[in-house]
Amino acid sequence: MAAPTATTIPTSTGRSPMTTDATLTLAQWFSPAYPVGAFAYSHGLETAIEGGLVHDAESLRAWITPVLTHGSGRNDALFLAAAFHGDPAQADDLCRAFASSAERVMETTQQGAAFAATTRAIWPIDLPDYAYPVAVGRAAHLLDLPLELTTQYYLQAFASTLVSVGIRLIPLGQTQGHALIHALSPLCKTIATDTAQGDLDALSGTAFLADIHAMQHETLYSRTFRT
Amino acid sequence: MGDEPITELHTITTPSQPRARGEAQVTAKARDGASVIASLRQAGSSKLVFPRGGAGLQAVLVNTAGGITGGDRFALSATAGPDTQLTLTTQAAERAYGAQPGETGRVTNRLRVSEGAQLNWLPQETILFENSCVRRDMKVDLHETARFMFVESLVLGRVAMGETLHNAAFHDRVEIRRAGALIFADAMALSGDVSAQMAQAAGGAGALASVILAAPNAEALLTPVRAVLNSTSGASLLAPDLLHLRLLAPDGFGLRQTLLPALRLLSHGPLPRTWMI
Repeated sequence: MAAPTATTIPTSTGRSPMTTDATLTLAQWFSPAYPVGAFAYSHGLETAIEGGLVHDAESLRAWITPVLTHGSGRNDALFLAAAFHGDPAQADDLCRAFASSAERVMETTQQGAAFAATTRAIWPIDLPDYAYPVAVGRAAHLLDLPLELTTQYYLQAFASTLVSVGIRLIPLGQTQGHALIHALSPLCKTIATDTAQGDLDALSGTAFLADIHAMQHETLYSRTFRT
Repeated sequence: MGDEPITELHTITTPSQPRARGEAQVTAKARDGASVIASLRQAGSSKLVFPRGGAGLQAVLVNTAGGITGGDRFALSATAGPDTQLTLTTQAAERAYGAQPGETGRVTNRLRVSEGAQLNWLPQETILFENSCVRRDMKVDLHETARFMFVESLVLGRVAMGETLHNAAFHDRVEIRRAGALIFADAMALSGDVSAQMAQAAGGAGALASVILAAPNAEALLTPVRAVLNSTSGASLLAPDLLHLRLLAPDGFGLRQTLLPALRLLSHGPLPRTWMI
């Protein structure tokens, strides 16, 4: 149920209730100012930039796109939706077991713990230290936020984090970077819609090269990012 | 083990062809310090043969249907009883042939590793042909003290013959539990234009492999195994007793160049002879 003070307005599709409070809450959670520490994680992208595979806006887009569509982006969206609809503890177990390397485990565990600690300190909800997408899905459920919009925000924030890595390391111009985030936006929306059932049988990780980059990051000589 | 001529392939995929069914169950038990067969059941197109020699009990799975196509069902269940060593491999590479539209071949594998036991799952690669459609599911249950080594490798089309996959479906899921708790899960769905999917997400690789080692010495093997990997493969320690490797290569031959040294290093004994051909 929406908070008593919120104004309920219909979405353009009329499918899910949306409140002005909901969008502002999501904008707050996925703002770089929310102390999740997303800026510290490159998801393995630093390896790809270091190796020269990713060197401009086009090659950055080519690295990020499969991560969103065939890797962590889509799978996190499934975990988020599964935690939203069902048993978050079960989704959490699978989410942690599904992380393909040590730094991926760290990335989802630490961001999840940071998100949960801040969120339960501000909102009156019981939110354990779940993995990041599970913590977000559970919090969205407890606060009655619209699922698909939550997932869109989550994915857009993930894409922004990765583009920011490119802006810092390639380096890439701010405008070029933001043009890329804008270009990836429809993809985030499509994935959010496709994963809304939270069917964990639909999990699939085939962003193989990015997964290997994340493994190789553990032994990268000079590292700016934690993953 | 040459590639079947196209005429035979057509025979296999005609709708009137009876669907293959195969079921095999084996349990190893310890007797006088050796691992021997405690129970064995095999039906249909799945046969297990037990070559002599080697450490522990070796079981070689033979698919007498010659491959997997739409509508086939294969199920294998293997248990390494207390204090046994059981190694499972295949006689040849598994071939997933073209399937009739809407027909899926299903492969279900269940492994159990008891107290003080070791199980090695070392099948040879699975080769996906154009129009193949396979769904595979693996569940593993490990005792707190069990050791487990796992490899699955996949070759996408007969690369040597210039075949690339533009229409195929392969769904795979692996779940490993230790003392009932999920410690590793992986899933992949390759479908439709697999070549395009691999070009986008895997640098155009035509072969890939996953390796898992769940053993007390996993941590000690991380650095040595990294030394035999190349730029398109990686290793990571998911827990002090859990090592995960992922390898990509242009083709099956290239994959073995990296995979074999890694497996030799990780295996707690020699690799099955079927791997040495």
